[in-house]
Amino acid sequence: MTPLVVADHVSKWYGQVIGLNDVSVSIPTGITGLLGPNGAGKSTLMKLLTGQLKPSKGSITVLGEGIWGNPRLFFRLGFCPEQDAFYDRMTGLEWVSGLVRLNGYTESEAKRAATKALEIVDLIEAANKKIGGYSKGMRQRVKLAQAIVHDPELLILDEPLSGMDPIARRRTIRLVKDWAKAGKSVLVSSHILYEIEAMTSNILLINNGRILAEGDVHSIRDLIDEHPHTVHVRADNPRSLAREFLTRDDVLSLKLEQDAIIETSKPDSFYRYLTELAASGHAGTITEVTSPDDNLQAVFKFLVK
Amino acid sequence: MPIHDQSYRHYTGQRSPKGRAWTVIASAGVRYMLAKKAFLALLVLAWLPFVVRSVQLYLSANLPQMPIIAATPQLFRDFLEQQGVFVFFITIFTGAGLIANDMRANALQIYLAKPLDRAEYIAGKFAVLAFFLLMSTWLPAIMLVVMQIVFAGNLTFISSNFYVLPAIFVYTGIETVVLGLVMLALSSLSKSARFVGIMYAGFIFFTQALYGVVFVITRNSGFSWMSPSSNLMQIGDLIFRLPGRFQASGLVTIIALVVIVGLAAFVLERRVRGVEVVT
Amino acid sequence: MSTTTPDPIETLPTAAPAMPARPIRQAPPFATAALRVFDLSLSQMLWSRRTIFLGLVVGSPVALGLMLRILDAFGFAGNIRMGGDSVNGSSVFGAMIWLLYLRFLVPVLGVFYGTSLIADEVDDKTITYLFVRPISRTAVLVGKFLAYVVTTIFVVLPSVVVLYLCVQPLGHGSLAEGFLSLLTDLGLLALGLVAYGALFAMVGAAFKRPLVAGLLFVLGWEQLAMALPGYLRKLTIAHYLQALVPHVMPAEGLGSALQSLFRDVPTPTTSLVILFAMTVIFLALAGWLVERREYVLEQ
Repeated sequence: MTPLVVADHVSKWYGQVIGLNDVSVSIPTGITGLLGPNGAGKSTLMKLLTGQLKPSKGSITVLGEGIWGNPRLFFRLGFCPEQDAFYDRMTGLEWVSGLVRLNGYTESEAKRAATKALEIVDLIEAANKKIGGYSKGMRQRVKLAQAIVHDPELLILDEPLSGMDPIARRRTIRLVKDWAKAGKSVLVSSHILYEIEAMTSNILLINNGRILAEGDVHSIRDLIDEHPHTVHVRADNPRSLAREFLTRDDVLSLKLEQDAIIETSKPDSFYRYLTELAASGHAGTITEVTSPDDNLQAVFKFLVK
Repeated sequence: MPIHDQSYRHYTGQRSPKGRAWTVIASAGVRYMLAKKAFLALLVLAWLPFVVRSVQLYLSANLPQMPIIAATPQLFRDFLEQQGVFVFFITIFTGAGLIANDMRANALQIYLAKPLDRAEYIAGKFAVLAFFLLMSTWLPAIMLVVMQIVFAGNLTFISSNFYVLPAIFVYTGIETVVLGLVMLALSSLSKSARFVGIMYAGFIFFTQALYGVVFVITRNSGFSWMSPSSNLMQIGDLIFRLPGRFQASGLVTIIALVVIVGLAAFVLERRVRGVEVVT
Repeated sequence: MSTTTPDPIETLPTAAPAMPARPIRQAPPFATAALRVFDLSLSQMLWSRRTIFLGLVVGSPVALGLMLRILDAFGFAGNIRMGGDSVNGSSVFGAMIWLLYLRFLVPVLGVFYGTSLIADEVDDKTITYLFVRPISRTAVLVGKFLAYVVTTIFVVLPSVVVLYLCVQPLGHGSLAEGFLSLLTDLGLLALGLVAYGALFAMVGAAFKRPLVAGLLFVLGWEQLAMALPGYLRKLTIAHYLQALVPHVMPAEGLGSALQSLFRDVPTPTTSLVILFAMTVIFLALAGWLVERREYVLEQ
């Protein structure tokens, strides 16, 4: 499938400061999480992808076309920026419909589309209130509304959950997933790992202006094979289990606490052995197997040193 | 003890006495402005008239037969008046964003949450502006006096015009206080440094234009109190013991300047707060 | 019987499932796009605190005019003279148009609003919303320029009319007599706002510190160039604007005296053509610059 966004050896510097350093990525359809600590280059990348900045080197194509100086693309692109900035004197409905009129909508079409967008983000009751009186979460939602109002194919969301309460957060995460199911693609950035994890397993990890990893988080984890995997095994007879594990070459360390905590350099082989052990009942009953390692946090911690 | 405590350690060093916090704001502000190349260029440009006047003083010391270029108190008065152009731009460059930028960034709450009161905050901001204004008025004027003594090789001029030195101090002081406080007050009224700059331009030039209209209609320069810049010109003339160029009396001029300073102080007192009261 | 509380999130309406085929939309034509940006920007500009403040400033000549009228009504204004001669309200009004509106208010409003057209949106960080729409940046600039023109005309022209009503009857002047010149004044002030606004829109797009550059131009360069003989004055807007003024230039100081001495007045037609051409060229340049410039928002 043709990637939606292609960045080819893109660098961006601001005077002496490098914002992005030789970044080459392809962002596929679906939901992609752009993950990185503060100052990693996430916003710079998003601004380049939305044509607000021009690459100092390299090229970017979005939906098959160059984005800089190409406003036509914004029919198909919706952007929710990070900054908390609005025309505070306008109501939510006025603001969203005013902006979508710039997409060629007539006044009545704009009002209808804006109303629908505000319903989707659950802001319809406050639609006729001035944005200046909105709470932080409401402001975040009205920003989302202006991004989705013209029904774009690709949504680029820069820290969309910032300032939202837990219920609004869950709702927005669900919305993002629903949009993806409806055929849209979403690129969403955050520095909060569990938010991204809740939305997608397809990530783009960035730090210090460089891409560290891209793709499925589990595949990335598998590739980091010099980093041992930790497995927690809860069993009736952990000591007996431990004796079995210690005979293996790939077991690097073993700790007995409430669970048996094993570090292994060959997780696939280890899990096969564990399955056989559980089936045979040789070392007692195994009640639970977990791996705190096979998740985004572990990948993040390892790669972002 | 073999294992040292790695936890947080309280500062046990020397602390400055209370009331010195304004110096921190002042030094940070001065350093910030000095880092801007365009501003440094403006400061350098502001010293060009000093160079021209120094040449004039050199020539007057070596060509006494040319009375037109002789060193007189009027020379110093004219020098300070001509510096008014640079004073205007330095005040806008330095002062427009002094408080406005803090209000835009909601930094006032952070400042006033420290052991720093409003007076110290204002004093610190004022000191930034005063530093650069004095650097382009008081300092070059004093240096001109020094140049005059050096080129003449004697203290004749200063001893016969002993009031020139204190006049420089007083006039530049009044100018700095009036314009500095007005700019700070205007800066506290808006979050946009650009708008503050326009308000200041209005304060100086629009009032001058208004006075100009009144003068054209009445042919009476007694209304010069309407224009703050005219007031400063008038007070400058009086301080340098020159005949006032306007008909407004010294007392009226002083009252007008005091009212301006008072209004500025009032605005600052109302606007520089840690919280914004919304009614 | 056990009851389970439904998850409040799950009961909320979901986003629409697969959307019907999207209607193919065309970008609005340039003029329409600019007008829509104008719609969006006008109320922001017109009812902002700054405009209200500037409205008060622009109203101060009206206060002066009212004061003169009151003095006249009580018989204290018999000494209104200009250059030693008793004059009527028309001359006073003309002097105010020259000294207050033409030499200060119109150029300074042009500096303030013109340099802020895009810069204000950048400072407020709202520019992103306009630049991620399928319209050109030039259309955004032109739309905001139109909003500026309407705002400043709305602020300045009514004050001129009220001033006229206050001042014109002084010294037995007639409202009807000066009506045509009032219309000319209104037209030339509007044209001045347009021309200065276009110039400073370009300055705002080109310079990092446009306010200082603008004030230097208006309060420095224009005053100097107009007072010197030669061709320098042709590099000002004031030269062409002042050619359209139906009032005599008042002599209120050395600057005015020098300007009168070296005055070289182009024909009204030449002035109008050049002012329109300047407006178009400056706006086009401003648009060209805005299309190419990167706006990095403060973090």
